[in-house]
Parts: sequence; C-alpha cells; structure tokens
Amino acid sequence: MKKTIYSALLASAMIFSSCEKEYLETAPTNAVTEENVLSSTKNGMAALNGIHRILYLQHNGSQNQGGEGSMKIMMDALGEDWVQTLGTSWWANEHNWTSHRNATSSTTYNHAWYYFYYRIIANANILINGLDNATGPEAEKQMIIGEALVYRAWAHFQLVQAFGERYEAGKTNSQLGVPLLITSTTEGQPRATVEEVYTQINTDLDTAIGLLTGLGNRPAKSHFNAAVAKGIKARVALTMQNWPVAARFAQEAIQQSGATLMSRAQYTSGFNSVENPEWLWGSKMQADQTNYFYSFFAYMSANYSSTAIRQNPKKINSVLYNQIPATDVRKALWDPTGASIPVPAGGVKAPYGQKKFLVADPNLSIGDVPHMRLAELYLIQAEAEARQGLASAAGSLFTLVSARDPQYVRSTRTGQALVDEILFQRRIELWGEGFRFLDLKRTNSALDRTGKNHIAQWAWALTGGNLRVEAGVKEWQFLFPQAELNVNKAIVQNPL
Amino acid sequence: MSAFSTQALAQSKAVTGRVTDAITGEGMPGVTVHLKETSTAAPTDEQGNYSINVPAGGGTLVFTFIGYLNKEVTVGSQSTINVSLASDSKTLNEVVVVAYGTADPATYTGSVTQIGAEKLAQRPVTNITNAIAGQAPGVQVSAGSGQPGSGPDIRIRGFSSVNYANDPLYVVDGVPYTAGLSNLNTEDIASISVLKDAASTALYGSRATNGVVMITTKKGKKDRVQVNLRALQGVSSRAIPEYERVNAYEYYPLMWEAYRNSLVSATVTRAQASQRATADIKGLLGYNPFNVPNNQIVLQDGTLNPDAQLLWEDDLDWEKALTRDGSRSDYTVSFNGGSEKSDYYVSLGYLNEKGYLIKSDFERFSGRMNVNTNLTNWFKAGVNINYTLTNSNQANTGSSTGFVNPFFFSRGIGPIYPIYQHDPATGAYVLDANGERVYDLGGSSPTMTRPVYPGRHIVAETEWNNYLYRRNVFGGRTYGEITFLKDFKLTANFAADITNYEEQTYENTQVGDGAPAGRAGRVLYNLTSYTANQLLNYNRTLAGVHTVDALLGHENYSRSRDYLSGSKSGEVIADNTELQNFSTINNFNTYLQEHRIESYFGRANYTFNDKYTVSASYRRDGSSRFYKDVRWGSFWSVGGSWRLDQETFFTKPNWVDMVKLRSSYGQVGNENLENGDGSQYYAWQALYTLGQNNAAEPGFSQATLGNRGLVWEKNNSFDAGIEFALLKNRLNGSAEYFKRTSEDLLFEVQLPLSSGVANRIENVGAMYNQGVELRLAGDIIKTDAFTWNLDVNWTTFKNKITKLPYPELVSGTKKLKVGEDLQAFWLREYYGVDPENGNALYRAITYNEANSKIIGSDTVTWNANNGRFHYAGTAIPKFSGGFTNTFSFKGITLSALVTYSVGGKFYDGQYATLMNHGTYGGAMHKDMLDRWQNPGDITDVPKLQVGNTANLAAASDRWLVDASYLNFRSVSLSYNIPAPLTTRLKLRNVNIFATGENLALVSKRKGMNVAQTFSGTTSAVYVPARVLSLGLNLSL
Repeated sequence: MKKTIYSALLASAMIFSSCEKEYLETAPTNAVTEENVLSSTKNGMAALNGIHRILYLQHNGSQNQGGEGSMKIMMDALGEDWVQTLGTSWWANEHNWTSHRNATSSTTYNHAWYYFYYRIIANANILINGLDNATGPEAEKQMIIGEALVYRAWAHFQLVQAFGERYEAGKTNSQLGVPLLITSTTEGQPRATVEEVYTQINTDLDTAIGLLTGLGNRPAKSHFNAAVAKGIKARVALTMQNWPVAARFAQEAIQQSGATLMSRAQYTSGFNSVENPEWLWGSKMQADQTNYFYSFFAYMSANYSSTAIRQNPKKINSVLYNQIPATDVRKALWDPTGASIPVPAGGVKAPYGQKKFLVADPNLSIGDVPHMRLAELYLIQAEAEARQGLASAAGSLFTLVSARDPQYVRSTRTGQALVDEILFQRRIELWGEGFRFLDLKRTNSALDRTGKNHIAQWAWALTGGNLRVEAGVKEWQFLFPQAELNVNKAIVQNPL
Repeated sequence: MSAFSTQALAQSKAVTGRVTDAITGEGMPGVTVHLKETSTAAPTDEQGNYSINVPAGGGTLVFTFIGYLNKEVTVGSQSTINVSLASDSKTLNEVVVVAYGTADPATYTGSVTQIGAEKLAQRPVTNITNAIAGQAPGVQVSAGSGQPGSGPDIRIRGFSSVNYANDPLYVVDGVPYTAGLSNLNTEDIASISVLKDAASTALYGSRATNGVVMITTKKGKKDRVQVNLRALQGVSSRAIPEYERVNAYEYYPLMWEAYRNSLVSATVTRAQASQRATADIKGLLGYNPFNVPNNQIVLQDGTLNPDAQLLWEDDLDWEKALTRDGSRSDYTVSFNGGSEKSDYYVSLGYLNEKGYLIKSDFERFSGRMNVNTNLTNWFKAGVNINYTLTNSNQANTGSSTGFVNPFFFSRGIGPIYPIYQHDPATGAYVLDANGERVYDLGGSSPTMTRPVYPGRHIVAETEWNNYLYRRNVFGGRTYGEITFLKDFKLTANFAADITNYEEQTYENTQVGDGAPAGRAGRVLYNLTSYTANQLLNYNRTLAGVHTVDALLGHENYSRSRDYLSGSKSGEVIADNTELQNFSTINNFNTYLQEHRIESYFGRANYTFNDKYTVSASYRRDGSSRFYKDVRWGSFWSVGGSWRLDQETFFTKPNWVDMVKLRSSYGQVGNENLENGDGSQYYAWQALYTLGQNNAAEPGFSQATLGNRGLVWEKNNSFDAGIEFALLKNRLNGSAEYFKRTSEDLLFEVQLPLSSGVANRIENVGAMYNQGVELRLAGDIIKTDAFTWNLDVNWTTFKNKITKLPYPELVSGTKKLKVGEDLQAFWLREYYGVDPENGNALYRAITYNEANSKIIGSDTVTWNANNGRFHYAGTAIPKFSGGFTNTFSFKGITLSALVTYSVGGKFYDGQYATLMNHGTYGGAMHKDMLDRWQNPGDITDVPKLQVGNTANLAAASDRWLVDASYLNFRSVSLSYNIPAPLTTRLKLRNVNIFATGENLALVSKRKGMNVAQTFSGTTSAVYVPARVLSLGLNLSL
C-alpha cells in the first residue's frame, strides 16, 4: 500500500515537474531589448546617451582604441606637428603610416576608424528610423532624432575624409567614398561617391538643425544643439571648400553657442574640463567611467603615470613652436627644455614636451575630451573669409589671436599669405585635438617631417627613413579593413 | 542420518588457506570458496583466511568474488592452499558508467572508455583532467598549465564547432557539473567514463556533441569497514625549460649590428654606420652592464670589447627571480564500509600546492559523504554531499602579452637588465635606508632607462600585487528509488552544485598598472545549478533469453550566476586592500545570468541470448538559449552489438575468448554558446548593453542583433567497432572507426563592419571528423613473480570543413575554407635568406621591380606584403595516443605512462618573437647567432636590422615546426608491504610509492610548449609543472 502511495507521489512529481511554460523564458539583467529601447522617448534618450558614451568607450578590446579621443590622436600621429620621444610604443605604426594602410589586420587603425564611426551610425539609424511609436514628449523625440542625425552626418563625414579622396570644389566628386548607411541593414553596401556622401551629410545636418532649433537647453555639452550642428556644418563646408557656407555657419555657431574664449589662466589649466566656457561640444568623464589606459589622457596628458607618458611624452614640432611669439599664452603649453613639465614619477622631461593636456587628478586617467571649441569656429570663419578675399578675415582672426596674445597686431596680410597665417594659427591652436591629418588632406598639402625635432629612427612614414609624403598620393586614403572586404563584396578597395 | 554424516566426515579432510588480492596482496574477506560440483562452500574471514572440508580424494576448489576472475585449484594432496585473485578489470565483465545508469560492457552498443580508480591512486594531480591524458583512444589532451589547480583541455574525436566550445560535457555523479573540476579530490573518484559516440551520449541531447566525461565518486563496499589514508608529499618545478636565449656578451654585439645595419644607406657607408653604432648603442639599449665606457662596449668591428666584464652578472636571471622550489602536499583520509542494507563512504582531504612560480598556490579542503541505504526491500535512498574550500593565489597569466604576465616579461626582457638597482659605475647594489636591495624599475637613473617594459618590474609587481580567490563549493546528490511490480524501478534524483567565489585583486602604488594611485577590486559570484530528474526503469529477462531494459525520464536543469564586480582606486593608507581604503569608484556592476534546459527522454535495449543487442535512445530538449518557437529539439541514436563468440555456427579458436562487433548512429546537439565571456545566454534576443551612461545621464548602446531562428548545432555520429579478448583474457583490445558530421554550426557570422555590428550568430556551416582508434592491452610477460603489462592506444583523425557562410575567412594563422581542415595553417611561404644582402625572401604574389627578384623559376620578394600565402600544413597530428608499461615483480610495480603525438605542425610564435631583428631591449634566441652578416653568407636566419622586423621576421611558415612529441606524463614506482608484515601491524594494506608527473618532454625545440593548444599555437602561459612525489596508501 505504502509502495503504491509513494509510486503515485513520484509519478505525479514526474508529471507536474514538467514546469510551466515560463521555465525556459529567461532574460538578461544587464541588457535591454531593442523593442524596449524604442518604446519611449525616455529610453530613446538613454540610447542617444549610449552614443555619446561610445565616444569614450574602449573598442575592440584594444588599448589604443578609447573612442573619439583615440581617433584624435590618430589624426595627429599621422601629421608632422605631433612628435614622439620614443617610437617603440603605442601609435608608432600609426605615426609611420603603416597602420591605416594595412589591408589585412583587424587591430590597425583603418579597422578601428571604420568600425567606430559605423557603430555610431548604426546606433543613430535605429533612433532616426524607429521612434515613430515611442511614447513621450514630441520635443524630446525631436531632440533625439535631431542629435542622432548630427551623429550620422558627422560619422559619415569622418569616414569619407579618411577613406575617400579629398573633396574638390568645382568638380563632380565622383570618386568613391564610403558606404552610405541611412537604414539599419546587415547587407553589405557599395561605396557611394564622395559627392553623394557629402550630399547626405548636408541633408542630415540641415534636417537636424531644423529639429534642434528652438528646443530647450541640451542636458549637457556632450549633446548637440543647433549651434554645434551648425559648427559641424561649417567644418563640412570648409572641407568642401564651400567658403561662403563655412563662413556663414561658423559665424552663426559662434553667435548662437553662448561660448566665450578662454582667459589666459584657463588656457593653461589642462584642457580637461567640459565646463570650460570655450567648449561647445565635449565628452565628460566620471571617475566610475574611467577608461584606464585607453583614455586620451593616458597618452596625451603630461602628468598621468602611464608607460606611454613616462617614456614617450608627446612633443610639438620644434619649428612650429619656435614661430610662436613669446607673448602668446600658447607658448606656455610646451617647454623647449622640458624642465617645467609636471611629469609623473620616473617620467622623461622631453624638450618641446607638451603640457597642454593635463589630468586633473594624477591618480586617474580620465579627462573630458574637447570635440569642438569656439577657437576652431573663429579659425573656420577666418579661413573661409580669407579664401573668399573678404576683408573681414583678418578681423575674425584677430578676435581669436588677440585673446591668446595681447601683443598680437591685426594682420595686414591678404590672399594666400593671410590664409597661411590662419593655417599657422590653426596648427598651434588645435595641436593635439585631432585636426592635422585632415587639414593636410583637405588643403592637399604634403606631409613633411624633415628638419624638425623628429627622431628619424622613429618618425619615418610609409618606409624606413622616409620623412615626406607628397600631396595627393594614394597613401592619403585609408585602406578598407579586411573584415569589411571579407563579407561585403560590394566594396571596392582603395589602390593598395 | 547421523551415521551417514559421520561416514562423510571420516572420508574428508580440511583444507585451509588465505585468499589475497593479486595486486595489493591484501587479504580478501567474503570470497566464496566452493568445492566444484557440490554444494559445499565456505566464505573467507576478515583476514581472507578460510577453511573447508573436502573429500579425502581431493576435488577442485573454485574461488569466486564479484569483480575478480574466478580461480580453480585442484586440491590433490595439499592441505594448505593460498591463492591470489586478480581483478577483473581487463575483461569486459565489469559494469561501466553510462548516461543515466550503468551498462554491461559485454553487450553495450556504444563507445566508452572507462578509467578506474587504480589508474588514479598514485597520480599527484589536483585537477582530474590531468589523469585522462593518454588513457583513452580518441581523446586528445592539451599540455595544460602549471597554474596550481588548473587542468588541461580535452577534445573527444576532433572538433565540432568553429566559434564555440569543443569541450566535452562533464557529468559528476550523474549530473552536469558546473563547479569546476579542481573542486574534486582525485582520491574520491571511483571511475571516469569517456563517452564518445551517439549511442552513449544521445541521452545528453543538446549538450552531447563534444562527448561526455562521466565522473563517478566512490561508494562504500559492503561487508567491510575500512579506513584508508593516502598521503603524498612532493616537489614541483618547471617541466619545460625556457627557450635558449643569448647572454649579455652575445646580446650587445647583436644589437649593435642590428642598429648598424639600419644606419647603412646610399649616403652612409658601413664603416660610418659602424662608428656611429659604437657611439650610440648604449644610448639605445639604456644600460651598460659592463665595466667599459659607454662608447667602447662594442668595437667598430662589431665584436664585444675584450675587456668587458659584467658588473651585475648575478642579477640578470629574471626567470630565477620568479621561481622557487614548488611543493605539493596531498592528504586524504577516508572511511568506507557497509552492511547488507547500507553502505557509506566518508572522506576528508587536504591539499596544499605551491607552484614553482612565486605567488601561485592552491590550498583545498575537501570533504565528501556518500550514504546509501535500502530502507525496505522496495525502497532505497541515498545522499552524496561534498564541500570544498579553496584558497588560491594565481599567477597573472590571463593576458599572454600583459606586462604582469611573469612568463611574457621574463622571456622577453633582454639579458642586460638587472632586477635590482646598481651603481652604474661600480655595479654595486644600491641599498635603501634599511640596507635592502632596491628593485630597478627601469628608470632609476637618467643614465639607465630600460627601453623594454619601461617602468615595469615583474618581480616587484608579482610580489606587491595580489590576485587571489577564495571559493566555497557545496554539492549534493540525493535520490529515492522504488522497486515495484518486480521489474520496475522509479527513481527521483535531485542535485545541486553551489559555488561561492570571491576574487580579490590589488595593484600597488609603486609600479605597474595600479601606480601611482593603487587599485583594488573584488569579483563575487554565486553559481548555482540544480538538476532534478525522474527516471522509470524496466528490466526483465524473459524465458532466459530475452533481456529487455527500458528507461523513461524527465529532467529539469537550471543554472544561475549572480555576479558582482567592483573596483576602486586611490589607496589611502598602505597595506590595506579593503575597498574602503580606496577613494574613487572605478566600476561597480552586477548581473544575473540564467540558463535552463528541460528534457524528456527514453532508452530501450533488447538483448537476445547474450548474443544480439539493439538499443535506441531519444531525448527532447528545450533550451532557454533559443526563441520559444524553435527551442525544442530532438536527439536520438540507434545501436547494435553482436557477440560473435557466442555463436554456435562460429567455431571460435580456443585462443579467442570474446569478440564483439558493434555499431551506432545518431544525432546529438550543441547549444553551448559560451565563448569565454559567458555573454551568450540570450543569443536570440536583440540587445542593448545597459550601464553605458553618459556622465550622469543613463545610457545604453546596441550590443547584438539577435536571431529568432537560432537553434542548436547538430552532430551526426557514426561509430563501428570490434572489441576482443584473446589468450585467456591475457590480451584484449578494440578497434573503432568514427565519423562525426557537424552541421548548422553555431557560427559567429561576420557582418560588414559598416552595419555597425561585427557579427551575428547563425546556424550555418558544416564539417566532419573521421578517424580510427585502436587500443591493445595485455600481459607480454606473465609469470608468478613477474608481469609486464602494456596498454597502448592510438588515434588518427581528419577534420574537413564542408560548408561555410562565405568562401573563406582568414583568422590569425589559419584560413577557414571549404575542403580544408579547421586547424590548417595559412601562412606566407618563406623562401630563405638572400645570400647577397641577408634579406628574408618570401615567394611573391606578383613580380614587382621594387621588391622582387627571380631566382631560377621562382619569383621571390623581400617585402612581406608581397609575400604569397599558402596552406602550410595542419596542427592536427597524423596520429597520437598513449602507452602505459607496467612491470610488477612480487610487490613492486613500476608503471610509466607516455603520451605521444606524431606529425602535424606547430606555429612557434614565441620563438618568432625571440627571433626579432632588433627590438631595443628585447631578448633574442640563440639561433640569432647564425644570422646573415656578410655578402655570400649562406644561412637560414636573415640579417639583423632595426625597424625591419616586419619584413625580416614576418608571420610565415618559417615559424612552423614539426609538432611531434613524446611526453613522459606519469611514472610511478610502488611497493606493497608483504601481507605477513601488514597483518602483524594490524593493517590491511600498505603501499608506498614514488611518482613523477611530466618528467620529460621530447620535442623539436627546447622551450617549446608544443601541446599548449589544439590549434598548434603558443603564447606566454604558465608552463606545466613537473611534480615528484613520495606517497603512501595505507588501509586498515
């Protein structure tokens, strides 16, 4: 009898333990589903903030891929104004022009650059195309979509500058650019022409400016507002040699941004705080979002104790430095003897070493990274005006430079001489902020590292001993990464 | 009646004697001594002694004991007959542990290799997987690691997955084990069964693709009470030596030459370059370890200054500074016994392993209790619980190129850099205020900056940092079993494995990644898995010839991992690693991961007349990893066996004892998407990562695309084999053929980077493994006093990819392509050294005037980018296996297990790094002494030239070497104290032994960790340890 009861109990246990349907339903606790993301503007805003964060996340598990800060280092490492103390450390291959020309590796900078900006585009596209049914205030939706459009435009802009041949005004730019991704798809897309890419960039920026205009204050300087979108539009126009548009949008951005130029004291305080009145757009980092040794400041600051900084502090091109007037506050950002640099313990005090970038707390590698400063907009305006031959150019330049150097006298140069002076100012003002390679490329200039304080052993480009790359040669174009070519058969590689 | 008895007595005599175990010499209680063809029988007593009456005319005594071979002795005129019984393990009569039960190997239709406790008794292994190497055909075992507590990886019959796990499923006491095998005390293990084909694994359904390793712990033996003590005390050291590297006297001239060669150009002559090299070389290497001026270390002819003597010769051995005499203590005491109704096994173990590398150790306390009882004649229940506590300091080898990796650092640092600071002029040690030596962090003085690993110091960092964990594991298995209606058995099992893990890390304020702030972190997790199943068994033999055995079951499996990690920086006061002693939170995260499987399954076996057996298994699994519409899958197998020797039509020669043919086919699956980071529990879902906050604003970003159609990987497995026993069971063996075809592979399909997501998991691709495995074991010599037993296994297999999502995919040193194997190397073809200029030459893709030349009919290039790739061989060996020689003489046994692997290629990336052509401060291999130096030199080592390593030492088949090896994995010498002595000591058995693990590795190059991975690649890892131990097994 007992046996029968026990058997019955066991048998029923067997039947009933075949659990409810939910038994096999599990969901992650450290992730959100895509449906959830698109369900409300609140979640959409969090997804937009995720894009802002991508700008300072580590990518591909690589120590030299800390987001946009690393992209900036790449742009300067390719140039001639950024000088290494030791060339066996991080950024050596980038500096030697082999990283962006490596067609097979997945750890080189063509891969890093390509994937980084397309990740931003993919995240932006989901928001641009998917928020129709999201609940929440219309203004918030407008802000999300507007900002996402700026991201899509800016990321395409960064891509086309690296992978396409430079835009030349006055012709149809039918040379191949990069794939245009305006919807979410995993199908490999062909390269659109440079012209098509710029057309889309401008369309996106115009739409974004429309959406962002009239909205309330943005939550933080990591976000875009209409003024920043106009600043990006000015950058794009400058690259397209569309001088009137560049000048106009730079000026509007200056006027609408509310930003003011730094005082001389602020200028030497380390370029590490988004609270700086001159910054229009920047990534703010918190201690609990530390990015350790892949941070911009782990390579580019003077006082953080990373191997890269102790052994390979970054220096300025000595020829450029020596042209800076002694009364210019910017002269203090570098030290030709190295003696005054606040190096970490055991660090090298390198002649011409920089102290422009400083971490606020030497125990942490974090620092806010500037993506757009008012100074750049003045430089854009001045250059665009100068290139049109407008007399206002010297004035636009004066506004900026007189704030740096009280002795500065308004330039009387005109024509190319004035343009050259503006470009010189651009080099010292924007040193280390990720402009040099793009400026060389857009102005169709050669790279020339000869006759400066580069150590020949380490400063070569393309091949050992070679310190010069002529304008317009194929090496100005990044090679498409192998990982893209593997599966996207629509891609045509740049000349190897 | 009484008269008859008296008469019988009058005609009989008493025979006495003792029955002992042939291996241990121990007296055997409970042996039945039976007079043949009568009903007269007597048991042996506690000491194995017996007494039996036999007719005066003699007769034949039969000695029988379960698990041992019967022995017959003709009495004749003897009155004392002592016998020893041999264990039956070599015949196929022992039961083997298989999925959800045991099987009779005589008729079993699947492929299984069982490793018994006797193979483990003398192995000083902390992780049980070490004991599997070389023991089973069809099983490849990697070299493993010397990291205390770690075990090697195992592959059963090749590879089935491209991107995901190829590890077998580990089942401990009937339940998939989630706690990590280093929690098991080897001494507690009764057997390890390796299940290899579909017939044996199909009941594990969606987890069975890579085979199953079933580990069963010990139970008490009935009719005895026994106490065992096992004690092992050993020393450990590095099993594979470091690569041969140049010393300081050789190094300086080599680096001088590398620099000099890089200076020579159209405008700089060799002589000018030499002059400059002599002047500059110290500046580039940072340190002048010699007693000669900085600009006179290397003369302008490239030779070392003959007056140069090292200033700190005794302070250059970084490997030695990181190494110590390791030790290993391993003690277990166990009680086991039982009565007719109950049995028990209880053990307590303590292990303390100190690795040969400083700051690496493993201390383990383990306890186990296994009790089974028949409460009534129809109800049986049992419980088997275990607890393990582990404290371990781990060597920081997580990143193979991390500065904190002791092997990476000590292998790579040039031979001129001291560990401690020295006065650059005198070479004397710099002492601190306490008179202690001071570590040289590589930048101690302006005249001494180390270009390699600057500002880092592996000895200091290893000593001053902490990387340790504490782990508690509780495991329980319990069951109730009801027997009813005579042939039915209903069993309910419940099992839980609970791991609590706490990891502590600390990085010091003085040197390394934590400096200057100091960092501390914690990882805590609780990993809990439950398995509950209900099994209904039916077993009946009809009419004496039809045996039916059937099983129906239902099972729930649930695993959850609750994880917390946090780290802070900014140490407040020294020597306190608690987090409140740090000022700034760097990260703080938690998550919960869950995985569940629900299953229904059944099995049926039918045997006719012990001759023909057919079996079929079926399992239906639902997995939480997949979308609800597609998550249920079916897995099955069919198999058959035929005992040829039982046939009447087959007149078997009398030297044949047993011949069995068997075959099986079935389909099993793989749902394991874990690829190390454990993030793939929710692969079907399109997800955003939480916690991507933008400063103070909450944020998340796109992580995966999801795939609602995703299902398990399928594996179709065919197996056919023959098993035999010959010459009165003196020789036995098996031969098997297998073909395993994987399809709908779980594949990380690469997506265009421009889509913004690098990959998506899809079911695509197919490949197969087919091979042959042989095993042969037997007594080559067998006399009363001496036995030589040889047990050999041999396996060969081929792997072939038959379908891929794209035509080909280059990945590291490999290229996946249809028609090739998974481990095929795809590398530049190295051509040799150009005698004219010392360039490394590669076969060229195209002729290019700037970088190519034509030699004979070959177009070659010195620009690696123009180097042509080709398939250069595979990492899969031609054949591999193991052999064990066991020599027994009286009570002495010498046993040696050697594993071997023949053929296949190994890509020696570590050697390639040491063959760099001028990395300032980096170590160099001795082979660099054979470099090209002058026009006309014929050598296979290109010239030295700083800045040209990319061309001179590009990844190519130059770095491939023959992967063949011979590894003396385990040797033991043991001695059984003779029975008379042990009896006097009131001990049942005493066995003393000396044993060595990883005694020697014979391979193509000194220093090469040839069996590190199955893919034929190597990196800076904790090289395996050699352990020499003395041991004692004692029972009373």
